[in-house]
Amino acid sequence: MSLVVVRAAGLVTVQDLGRPGRMHEAVPPGGALVRDRLIAANRAVNNPDGAPAIEVLGNLVIRAEQVLQVATDTTSPRALAAGDELAVTSEPRRVAYLAVRGGIAAPLVLGGRGTLLCAGLGGLIRVGQRFTGAGLAEVGAAPRPAEPAAGPIRLLEGPDPDHFATGALDLLASFEYRILPSSNRVGTRLDGPALPRTSAPEGSRPMVIGALEVPRDGKPIVLGPEHPTTGGYPIIAVVAHEDLGRLFSIRLGGTVRFTR
Amino acid sequence: MADWVPLGDRAIRFARPARSAQAIVRAVRAWPGVIDVVVARHEVAAYFDGAPGSVPEGATPPAWSTWIDALATAPDDPAPVRDITLRAIYHGPDLEHVAAATGLSIGEVCARHAAATYTVETMGFAPGFAYLGGLPAALELPRRTTPRTRVPAGTIAIAGLQTAVYPFDSPGGWHLIGSVVDVQMFGPDGPLLQLGDRVRFVP
Repeated sequence: MSLVVVRAAGLVTVQDLGRPGRMHEAVPPGGALVRDRLIAANRAVNNPDGAPAIEVLGNLVIRAEQVLQVATDTTSPRALAAGDELAVTSEPRRVAYLAVRGGIAAPLVLGGRGTLLCAGLGGLIRVGQRFTGAGLAEVGAAPRPAEPAAGPIRLLEGPDPDHFATGALDLLASFEYRILPSSNRVGTRLDGPALPRTSAPEGSRPMVIGALEVPRDGKPIVLGPEHPTTGGYPIIAVVAHEDLGRLFSIRLGGTVRFTR
Repeated sequence: MADWVPLGDRAIRFARPARSAQAIVRAVRAWPGVIDVVVARHEVAAYFDGAPGSVPEGATPPAWSTWIDALATAPDDPAPVRDITLRAIYHGPDLEHVAAATGLSIGEVCARHAAATYTVETMGFAPGFAYLGGLPAALELPRRTTPRTRVPAGTIAIAGLQTAVYPFDSPGGWHLIGSVVDVQMFGPDGPLLQLGDRVRFVP
């Protein structure tokens, strides 16, 4: 199979399930921003869960150059004939995935095939770029991951309570925060009531995906899959692992509510 | 008993035991369920594939304090220490400032930086960014008050009692004194420098 990119706007990259096991070399885990959505798209075309697919934070139009079977994380599988075009938009969410039966061919580097911009691996997908299939064998049908329940995003208390004023975590859990358009795969920036800090840690500390780092201005940044493995800002809270995908699915400009 | 704090529901953080970084990485990676380790200057984090210490029903979850205590006597990494030599040109934009602030001549700043042998103590900040301990005390300076928005890949910088080479173009708050020559700090095989490496700069 092969396809060509007709239009790409926003952060459009090839992603799989990341490169775990290299954080001691300061290489973050990377991988799909919303893992369950990548898995959903792959399962729809009987791919292995971690097959490379195209992550769209924005808009993408592709044209099939041969017959190919495609699906997104929200649409049913369909066949494209040579010359057919397909548009994929992340609206109304922040991200969408386009999976192609057999997977997207991408070189295996440091244990993964996905783009990791911070490490110079892969790059943004551009107009005119051509992709071929990875030829991965079909796997048995598996149900798509269930749509997560609605409701506020669950937070676990962070490891640095001493660096915040009393009540800072309650503030975070009481007000609506807006997802800023400057967010990317490194961090999701939030706007809302500033969280009062009392001090900063001495030196850089280990970070984790989902950590809410709080810079001097008090506006939290939720670390994403390309986060620096160490950082100097105190962590007020960490998003419950199960709720990461739900948080990272909220469109830019949208709002989020947290709960403890 | 060692203390630890949860770092969310998939990781724990604790004070760095007095062992080499590579010995800590090796030992912690052998813990049940651990998929990743970060050794920072004063703390270590262990990252798990599920909830830390998730065990079959009825089994006793691991007592992390005991495991952390055991790190103090973790065996050293049997791999021999690697010696890495980096060719350097000392022509950084902050050389004059560093000389003025340390009371040394520019020539002495370069000579002292090149005379020392460094060790990769921690890695963090950016893929392959190695914090090299062993900077001579005469060159110790606090970070710049205003970080630069872009430092080119390959730049040699100093701050505190450490030096480093930026693997990628990135923001940076250290003092820029030079750059490495003919070498990529991070490539398809991973980072050039690894925890425990001994590093020298040769002008």
